[in-house]
Amino acid sequence: MDYQVAVIGSGPGGYVAAIRCAQLGMKTAIIEKYDTLGGTCLNVGCIPSKALLDSSEHFHAASHTFKEHGIDINAPKVNLKQMIARKADVVKQNVEGVDFLMKKNKIDVLHGVGSFVDPHTIQVVGKESKKITAEKIIIATGSKPANLPFVELDKDRVITSTEALELKEVPKHLIIIGGGVIGMELGSVYGRLGAKVTVVEFLDRIIPGMDSTMGKELQKSLKGLGFEFHLGHKVTEVKRSGKTVTVKAEDKAGKIIEVKGDYCLVSIGRKPYTAELGLDAAGVKVDERGRVEVDNHLKTNVDHIYAIGDVVKGAMLAHKAEEEGVFVAESIAGQKPHINYNLIPGVVYTWPEVASVGYTEELLKEQGRAFKTGKFPYKALGRARASMDTEGLVKILADKETDEILGVHICGARAADMIATGVTAMEYRASAEDIARMSHAHPTYMEAFKEAALAATENRPIHM
Amino acid sequence: MSLQMKVPAVGESITEVTIAAWNKNDGDTVAMDEVICELESDKATFEVTAEVAGKLIIKAQEGDSLEIGAVLCEIEEGAGVQEAENDEAEEVADSISAEPAKPTGEVLEMKVPAVGESIAEVTISNWSKSDGDFVELDEVIAEIESDKATFDLTAEAQGNLQIIANEGDTLEIGALICKIEVVEGAAPSSSTDQTQASESTTLESQSSKDTYATGHASPAAKKILDEKGIDASSVSGSGKDGRITKSDAVEAKKAEPVPTPLAEASKPAFAPPQIQTGVSRVQTREKMSSLRKTVSRRLVSVKNETAMLTTFNEVNMQPIMDLRKKYKEQFKEKYEVGLGFMSFFTKACTMALKEWPAVNGQIDGEELVFSDYCDVSIAVSTPKGLVVPVIRNAESLSFHQIEKEVVRLATKARDGKLSIDEMQGGTFTITNGGIFGSMLSTPIINAPQSAILGMHNIVERPVVENGQVVVRPIMYVALSYDHRIIDGRESVSFLVRVKQLLEDPTRLLIGV
Repeated sequence: MDYQVAVIGSGPGGYVAAIRCAQLGMKTAIIEKYDTLGGTCLNVGCIPSKALLDSSEHFHAASHTFKEHGIDINAPKVNLKQMIARKADVVKQNVEGVDFLMKKNKIDVLHGVGSFVDPHTIQVVGKESKKITAEKIIIATGSKPANLPFVELDKDRVITSTEALELKEVPKHLIIIGGGVIGMELGSVYGRLGAKVTVVEFLDRIIPGMDSTMGKELQKSLKGLGFEFHLGHKVTEVKRSGKTVTVKAEDKAGKIIEVKGDYCLVSIGRKPYTAELGLDAAGVKVDERGRVEVDNHLKTNVDHIYAIGDVVKGAMLAHKAEEEGVFVAESIAGQKPHINYNLIPGVVYTWPEVASVGYTEELLKEQGRAFKTGKFPYKALGRARASMDTEGLVKILADKETDEILGVHICGARAADMIATGVTAMEYRASAEDIARMSHAHPTYMEAFKEAALAATENRPIHM
Repeated sequence: MSLQMKVPAVGESITEVTIAAWNKNDGDTVAMDEVICELESDKATFEVTAEVAGKLIIKAQEGDSLEIGAVLCEIEEGAGVQEAENDEAEEVADSISAEPAKPTGEVLEMKVPAVGESIAEVTISNWSKSDGDFVELDEVIAEIESDKATFDLTAEAQGNLQIIANEGDTLEIGALICKIEVVEGAAPSSSTDQTQASESTTLESQSSKDTYATGHASPAAKKILDEKGIDASSVSGSGKDGRITKSDAVEAKKAEPVPTPLAEASKPAFAPPQIQTGVSRVQTREKMSSLRKTVSRRLVSVKNETAMLTTFNEVNMQPIMDLRKKYKEQFKEKYEVGLGFMSFFTKACTMALKEWPAVNGQIDGEELVFSDYCDVSIAVSTPKGLVVPVIRNAESLSFHQIEKEVVRLATKARDGKLSIDEMQGGTFTITNGGIFGSMLSTPIINAPQSAILGMHNIVERPVVENGQVVVRPIMYVALSYDHRIIDGRESVSFLVRVKQLLEDPTRLLIGV
């Protein structure tokens, strides 16, 4: 065999798996069909969207809060071309970082489309076509944006998240189909830059899957940004004529609405990507939703082939894929790692951010578990007043009997970074009182975390 | 009025005990049912509790060997000691209010004493008193370790203790250990002591109480335990509320509730070096447990006091393996216990012991004792050390009864629940080093018995049968015996007989 391990796909799951394999002394190759490494996350996902979110947030602050901070400037103007160029540069730095990591760990990078010839052989077709064999193979081919069957994506005005990161102009009216994380983030970008944003969502809440309090808080905040929401509406038609895109949707009563805009972003989720992979040649099974079937050890039905990340079941998150990459690499090396899927945090990078880990209130109610709730609003926080980031709250759910923290949900400034404490606490099965008894630096946003823990312990926050 | 406390009868055949340790000092005030000393017999150690409350007067010293019924100590039941009766308690209360203890305002600083010429620093191994406790003059308040020895630190004054240095701290000679706020007058009556004691127990029991998180392994600890194949429930966590920390997991060892060669016990008592990344020169020291002390003393005395030697033979295990294979399922179904090798070996030994009674005998002073029955001791390795429970009248038990007894005793041994009765009085011992992979060993006799059979691993070896070299599963067996009572002819014939019975188990059935 040419390699001990071959990884197909170089997203955060694939490249992390490759590095961990190399660290554990295995001869490793990684196969990537695009010119740059890093997959969706680095090229057309997490990183570029954060770059645009930060730029647009600066613009929004300059337009709205500078004055109150005592900074008088002329009305700022959007230079979208520069924003996109800066974003491209951020992406470039990141993918080059992955290139460096591959070299440093002596991992062979093969550019081209990898497909199975047989269970141990992969044909790579691209700039440097070659056939390689490997003892173990990790499928990490990720996902692509999903689409509605009746919608024609022209990738010009009816677009997916990928195109939304490359627009040449700020839309006048952006219609977003799907109230999930991606739609809310990209909607925020263009909403802050001046677009009118209309969201059409099939369910009766946005960011479904997260605690309902978070959805309500975020919706309130986005409405403040000028978002219009049509929840509980099923899209029936998307039609483009010239520069106008018309979206028709009906509510549960059958009442039809029509929204006209100049761009329509379809962000209804993502689907696993296995085309061109030749799974049949390897005998690897996929399930009815196109996901590669794996067991609890992320092993496919073929003994030496594993799959990780978006291409398998579970949340489509970069950090989930990374954990799985490490898990598989260590499993191959004979170690016994573990992933607590309940403690993989979820984050929405709007402003205020939303972050959450563990059980939601809805899930606990469904389970019939007795729990206590502790909440603390940002507006009672000195730090938040100082920065004018007073939207949002921290919500901690704890077991009624044992006080063990069961879920942490934050909507507010820096929630994405704060959630790590929730994960740490829950990995150690800390109680709400444990957190409440730890010193938190003042003044910080994390004080809201401590206060919410006090509230959850026995409803005794200090600053409320 | 004073009460004499005597060595209690602790087991049928035990005539003598040794005082392992006094937990209290001469002159200490003890409460009823408080543990005052630890006794050791040749079977086990047990604790002696005060029969009444009062002042302790020690009559026998640590290390003394005493016969059952000999006087251990006296307890003076005096004033200042709370009795169970209420009226007396009231009297006590009166006497307290009449003569209260007075703080003098003086604070005495206690420093690390010079304990030896070459010793520059010491470590506090544990505080026997807590911060804020009332201590009496000369009362032991802490145990201190140097690299040469451990010694007790006693209070230099009577009063309230303020702890400055914590357990595990290393201090130079002369460094401050604690302060005592000196209190004059009578020591607070034992009723106060008891209140304090009960308070501190409540506090402790709260902090050591099991919570939902007790035994929860941290992410790194969980991975380590999984890799070692150790169940988290068998590890005691040192983290907050008993959480299992990474270092708990690194140090955790798999419990082996299975027979082990007696010879195993002669290894040093220190924990095996932990495998760590990088080079380490770390040594760890821990106190010998009473069980370990007993085991080590007895093993050395057997080596010194008997004429021990070992004879060897080899056993072709094929017939037993075939037999097991054939009847394993049926046996399990009928008796709900697996058919192991132990029943075959036990049966073979009891039959051979009948034929060579000296192997089943013992020396008792000037006399030889021969038993009509075979009580077979089984060496079992437990997390705390080696124990040797006994299968009674093994000669009259059937295979399934023996297997069940082995399981029952091994489980109790692992849980540390064996009674003294269950461990004493064996006439012969079987030990199995094979489960750890031992090829050959010379086990040490389990005194006062005269012989021990060592089982070993089963390995396919070339043997010659009818002029042909064939491969057979072979086990080497070893019999260590006391030549004072067993002659070479007897020991060798015994072992040959065991071999015959095992190689042709039909013989067990028809007794030839």
